[in-house]
Amino acid sequence: MSVVTEERNPLVEGLPLRRRPEPCVIVVFGASGDLTERKLMPALYSLAFRRLLPERFAVVGVARSDESDDGFRDEMRNAVQHFARDPFRQEVWDELAAGMRYLKLDAADTAAADRLAALLAEVDEERGTGGNRLYYFAVPPGAFEPLVRVVAAIPEGEGWKRLIVEKPFGRDLASARELNALVGEHFAESEIFRIDHYLGKETVQNLLALRFANGIFEPVWNRQFIDHIQITVAESIGIEGRAAFYEQAGAIRDIFQNHLLQLLAITGMEPPSDFTAESVRNEKVKVLRSLHTPGPKSVVRGQYGRGFVEGVEVPGYREEEGVAPDSQTETFVAAKLYVDNWRWADTPFYVRMGKRLPRRETTIAIQFKRAPHPPFEEAAVEGLRPNVLLIHVQPDEGLSLAIGAKMPGQGMSIRTVHMDFLYGSAFRDGLPEAYERLILDSMLGDATLFTRSDEIEEQWALVDAIVAGWQRDRAAFPNYAAGTWGPPSADDLLHRDGRSWRRH
Amino acid sequence: MVSARGPSVEEWSGVDVSIAEIEAELHRLRAGVTDEDGRPQQRTSVMTHVAWVPPEWLDAAERVLEGMRERHPSRTVILVPRPGEDGEGGIDAELSVRSFPLGERSVAGEVIELSLRGDRALAPASLVLPLAISDLPVFLRWRGEPPFGETQWDQLVAVADRVVVDSSEWGELRYAELAESFERSAVSDIAWARTGSWRVELADRWPAIAKQEIAIRGPRAEAALLRGWLASRLGREVLPPEAGGELAVQLDREDVPAPSDGPLTPSDLLSAELDRLARDRVYEAAALAATSVRQG
Repeated sequence: MSVVTEERNPLVEGLPLRRRPEPCVIVVFGASGDLTERKLMPALYSLAFRRLLPERFAVVGVARSDESDDGFRDEMRNAVQHFARDPFRQEVWDELAAGMRYLKLDAADTAAADRLAALLAEVDEERGTGGNRLYYFAVPPGAFEPLVRVVAAIPEGEGWKRLIVEKPFGRDLASARELNALVGEHFAESEIFRIDHYLGKETVQNLLALRFANGIFEPVWNRQFIDHIQITVAESIGIEGRAAFYEQAGAIRDIFQNHLLQLLAITGMEPPSDFTAESVRNEKVKVLRSLHTPGPKSVVRGQYGRGFVEGVEVPGYREEEGVAPDSQTETFVAAKLYVDNWRWADTPFYVRMGKRLPRRETTIAIQFKRAPHPPFEEAAVEGLRPNVLLIHVQPDEGLSLAIGAKMPGQGMSIRTVHMDFLYGSAFRDGLPEAYERLILDSMLGDATLFTRSDEIEEQWALVDAIVAGWQRDRAAFPNYAAGTWGPPSADDLLHRDGRSWRRH
Repeated sequence: MVSARGPSVEEWSGVDVSIAEIEAELHRLRAGVTDEDGRPQQRTSVMTHVAWVPPEWLDAAERVLEGMRERHPSRTVILVPRPGEDGEGGIDAELSVRSFPLGERSVAGEVIELSLRGDRALAPASLVLPLAISDLPVFLRWRGEPPFGETQWDQLVAVADRVVVDSSEWGELRYAELAESFERSAVSDIAWARTGSWRVELADRWPAIAKQEIAIRGPRAEAALLRGWLASRLGREVLPPEAGGELAVQLDREDVPAPSDGPLTPSDLLSAELDRLARDRVYEAAALAATSVRQG
């Protein structure tokens, strides 16, 4: 029988690990925005549905528009009913809504910090949230600075404070450094959670499990056995009314700078010594630092013209509302990147991302070198392609391994077949939304799946170098039709090396 | 051929069959569950799930399995012992390969239900071993009160990586005899799983609970296990439980509010146990401590 001591609770052994955070209040700036409606509130509801939120918890929505507490609750209820992955349960909602407050706030108002502080003190009193605050900036980057100052002016109490910021974090290296410096004046790095929601996706985390929990992959995960790697982040949608943002960002700032480089870093990183935030991020930043700046011939930019997607004719980018008729904004980027280190020397990482491509797909394809000497007649292996390990990040999350297999019958004829692992087919729970994991992690203070300041700066340094090359001349846009896999020059990028993009 | 959008099922049944026939028919059924292009469906399995189901438990067992098949893609082998039906013995089989829609594709799982007539019920491991999927764990769900010490129980425990019982189905709480299997296989108890939310609730009451008077009332198995758990973890005596009604706990004669988690379905409970692989030493200690408990 166990010996009872004052220090240890003998009853918790064997109980399911409850990743349940301390009491806290989440303050959502941008509470009337799209992100709050479509992602944040549904994620909070799903956490409440699974009883993963703290028992003493509150949500304070902050925005510039007029709204009452009840009006805010009604809007959020609608959001949950429309966008949550779980069925609507009145008792779950009632518990969550009981801790919801709204504050109309203009960050330029000199009394803004005092008003927010007063409301938070009231909420702490009512809900017992103990002064723990999680500030969520669901606002465009232009609004960060005044909001940081508002938050910084709130007197610190007993509890902790943390800050979640959405991408894009800056628009180039200089602005990212300024933002890091500004935020760093008031928050320690361990208190800052820069969201790249791709890192919250189960399949991205599964890539870490695949590489570091299996003995068979890591020994061949290097230049000796891998011919090249292809990473595709394809969207079939256009800019969905976000012309003002997209004209400034383009594909390189919208996708390449963050999602794509993070996928590349996780694919290429060395095994971390443990799964702590610092160890994982140390290894990722080493990959980002090792990225060779690609020359102009190794980068292709594109912009879609009119075309057909899923059988429907869609307008070209320059015809979209709010887009300049002579816009030079790229909606597609492809590049050949090299990670200059011992593991990956001379192994190209071909990456492509874009809008209005034939379908929505995020994949990482590890193409292995061919068998050195198949002892079969040439005709037997003419249909045989190299082994490819394909990681489906979205949709149809899972893995697929292409291998050569003998076709049934007399003689020897070999063709490529796929062994598939579909994530949802082996595990009973539905995949959580990325935001659920990331919000919960930030409440728990676990920054493993968030981007550190040095990663952000390395990513921007690479983007700045590429964009600098584009400033010298005007691109002949549009150069690919909507519904195709980008401009022909993207194909040439690989054909020059005797390779080709994956087709389906 | 069936649509990729399933759900779909291919079935076969046979009387007096051999394992070879079963394997051949399974192979044929799997080939028959195809997508719209005529290609066989993907088969994903995470385990072999063996259920020992005496005829009186068959309906309940089938309802539970129906509620969880999509959650645990597996080969399910249901063994229905009918020792008194035919002295010479024989095996009757009902096979089905089911396809469950999954996004744009479907996944196939298999159910093999074997009626073991006469002496064919005496050596069940010899049926399970050739039908188990290589290299995947074997989970054994034993319905009703196991015949501890008898051949069928010993054989199947020996081939299982995890044995799942429900001590609330037993006529007597024979935890001491169950404990003899702890060194041979990991053991789960659905009655123990039902106490999960209470254990979480009571764990939150540490350290005060260590010195409080604890009174437990509830269904016999659950109450005994909860009492055994508290006694083993706290290292002290706990009053014998009072049988009957919903599980309830008093600390120093004050009611502890019941945990608010909703009731879990039998499928949910079994499903959770099928996700566990490691030995549950906390349960083992609780079950051993529960053996000294007699109802108050």
